[in-house]
Amino acid sequence: MALYAEHPASAHDAHAAGPTQHAFNPYSDNGGTILAIAGKDFSVIAGDTRQSEGYSIQTRYARKVWQLTDNAVLATNGFAADGKNFVKRVKQRLEWYQHAHHKQMPLRAIARMIQTMLYGRRFFPYYVYNILGGIEEDGSGAVYSFDPVGSYEREACRAAGAAQSLVQPFLDNQVSVGILLHFSSHRHPSICSFVPSASLRKHTIVTNDRQFPPRHDNSTRYLGVFAMEALSLALTPQIYFKNQVPEPGAAPFIPGNLPLSTVLGLVVDSFTSATERHIEVGDGLEVFVVMNKGRTTDDLLGEGQLAEGMEIEELGALGDGGERTFLVKRALKRD
Amino acid sequence: MNHHPAAWGRPLPASASFDMYNPQFSAPKAAPAHQMPVAHTQQPLVTGTSVLGIKFDGGVMLAADNLASYGSLARFKDIERLHPLGPHTVIAAAGDMSDFQWLKKELNAILREEQALSLTDSHPSLSPSNIYDFLANLFYARRSKMNPVWNAVLVGGWDRVKAETFLGYVDLLGTTYSAPTLATGFGAHIAQPLLREAFEAKAGTDGKGPLMTQQEATAVLDDCMKVLFYRDARSMNKYQIATVTKDGVVISDSKSSETQWGFAEDLRGYGAQTQ
Amino acid sequence: MFLTRSEYDRGVNTFSPEGRLFQVEYAMEAIKLGSTTVGITTPHGTVLAVEKRVPSPLLESSSIEKIMEIDSHVGCAMSGLTADARTMVDHARVTSQMHNFTYDEKIGVESCAQAVCDLALRFGESVEDDEALMSRPFGVALLIAGIDEKGPQLYHTDPSGTFTRYDAKAIGSGSDAAQQSLQDAFHKQMTLQEAHSLSLKVLKQVMEEKLDENNVQLAQVTPEKGFAIIGEAELKTLIEGIAA
Repeated sequence: MALYAEHPASAHDAHAAGPTQHAFNPYSDNGGTILAIAGKDFSVIAGDTRQSEGYSIQTRYARKVWQLTDNAVLATNGFAADGKNFVKRVKQRLEWYQHAHHKQMPLRAIARMIQTMLYGRRFFPYYVYNILGGIEEDGSGAVYSFDPVGSYEREACRAAGAAQSLVQPFLDNQVSVGILLHFSSHRHPSICSFVPSASLRKHTIVTNDRQFPPRHDNSTRYLGVFAMEALSLALTPQIYFKNQVPEPGAAPFIPGNLPLSTVLGLVVDSFTSATERHIEVGDGLEVFVVMNKGRTTDDLLGEGQLAEGMEIEELGALGDGGERTFLVKRALKRD
Repeated sequence: MNHHPAAWGRPLPASASFDMYNPQFSAPKAAPAHQMPVAHTQQPLVTGTSVLGIKFDGGVMLAADNLASYGSLARFKDIERLHPLGPHTVIAAAGDMSDFQWLKKELNAILREEQALSLTDSHPSLSPSNIYDFLANLFYARRSKMNPVWNAVLVGGWDRVKAETFLGYVDLLGTTYSAPTLATGFGAHIAQPLLREAFEAKAGTDGKGPLMTQQEATAVLDDCMKVLFYRDARSMNKYQIATVTKDGVVISDSKSSETQWGFAEDLRGYGAQTQ
Repeated sequence: MFLTRSEYDRGVNTFSPEGRLFQVEYAMEAIKLGSTTVGITTPHGTVLAVEKRVPSPLLESSSIEKIMEIDSHVGCAMSGLTADARTMVDHARVTSQMHNFTYDEKIGVESCAQAVCDLALRFGESVEDDEALMSRPFGVALLIAGIDEKGPQLYHTDPSGTFTRYDAKAIGSGSDAAQQSLQDAFHKQMTLQEAHSLSLKVLKQVMEEKLDENNVQLAQVTPEKGFAIIGEAELKTLIEGIAA
């Protein structure tokens, strides 16, 4: 509704000089949230399925995440009409490229092309925030995020849309079992004073094996309050390790190294939480998982990997790349 | 100005000029037309209010009343806002009625061309989704030229090839979506909750249960049109329902709801009455 | 001959009853007047070699430029009306830069050859909008050498706008003999050094003048260094190598 802002009263003032102007506003905001996280050899791209305008839910199922190639998936958020038409244009360009160059467009090429397409409309922008995820030519998982006029960068993770401000800080902070970590004593002396030594590390590993990943509910353990016991701090999953400093001599934290089950848990938690607190998020969740060639699918398709209420299907290959794409669906609250 | 469909044809705030629909009052001393820049639709003039759509077990129904308003004036009281396109598609339009008439003309021309092709060829006829995609592209292209087609349109139909119903929404911004129940403008606030409630009562929230019957769908649409007549000052108690099934399109004669106004006499606390 | 052809020689885009475009065929003839140019592909890179005709001892031979860089990974050598090649190389350069800008990757060698050939038939009478850029076909053929994810490649383009991929190809005045020599000597597992000396040997066979570092030019495209023209000193050593 904000995009349908009323003209100030003075514009209607009969005494104002000149004719009254009613400018047509060609944009709207259709809510929703998208999210992508890169793994070492996979990438996860997700979005909710609610489309709204103001306080009205237009539909409970409108797709905003799209498979582009065998190794690329694009999520769009913002003004739905621009989003749909932008994706249409991107797909058209991908087809032309394939005809001209006899190969599927690589991920980084798609990213750059999206930049040029967005910037090409610098003075009548597509009101769309894009997140591109997939597999690079070197086999690594990758995420690229864009603003509406084409600024872009490669990242380990990114959230965009209505609940960006709820989800992104959560992703920035979450910490991983993949890497042993300790908290900076400068930041949280009260906690860190008793997280000092190798003995705890060992304990952490043992605990990890027993408890993590928590497959039964695809839900992650994360730092909510300082009152949580120190152990659970040390075994929470991580993406960006913000506000955390490794022990002197310890391996540096590397974003983008999380196991798939952890990433799926983070995605589900991000969306269930955003659904709780944001009125424009909910109804359904679609998660695209792109896997590098030859990578095991056991951590996705294996027995008990997916929680209750989650459906999975494999999307057909669009070329002969060898990468595999899966679509995981789940309901979100409808209120 | 508020462009939201719910605000179409509604009074301006007190700060606005006396009669925005009459250029004599609202646009002081406009230059002659040939001296003006190319004019695009900047605001709807003669408007239709909400249209509704719902899927049922054998097809889809659309509903719209017969009123075209000129601001707050109930100007034309026998306007048909449901329009059949070929054997298995109906569109229903809210918003500017002159834009809608132009739209009908364009679509009819296309359909005529398609029909001519099908006479000499095994040319497949346009499916509801073909017509819908065309409308979506047209509306988006026009909004991108800052020259919108000032309507919100529902497309309902039966897809013969897929043997399934179709129901979609497209508006002046090129925004599109699909759902088992749809309502535009004021109806999105007043009727959509009633439609969803009725739909989900049988089909369930996942929509996988049995759909309502044609009688049930008619009943809920009648109910919604009545509530809209009670609550929407730009509506009229004279409306039509279009039904599309695999057997084709049927557009009903105009009908009216039974209304009760007796309670008005008992209302206290405002108006002339003080006791 | 000219009497029978003359009717169909008037328009550059008029087919003869036998289905030929004479102006295009004449353009091909122009290439046969050009100096000999050879290209050889090996698994380790592609080699280009051209003969430079130095008609006068007063001519500064380094001013004859018959091998040009298109991008850091693509180069080309030419034979025929070399001035025409400037237009084509310019177009190829712009296209590869545009590709790099738009897709953040190097253009494919085949796409580069395609870009050059897109220009080839844009001649003739222009109809209102200037679709046709030129009044006549290009009078030059190119050997385009480059490396992309498919490995080292060599393409031949001609005035008809056709492009073809070769392991080894000779064009220009001595092309018939040179092509035969290439066919006899080429094998798929050649080293770069073997390709260098084969290209020079082939040129030496067909050149009227005695081959030296001033009347040939040699270039290569390798995975390590991309496109590079072989310097005079190194060229001299190579020439001495084949003489032995």
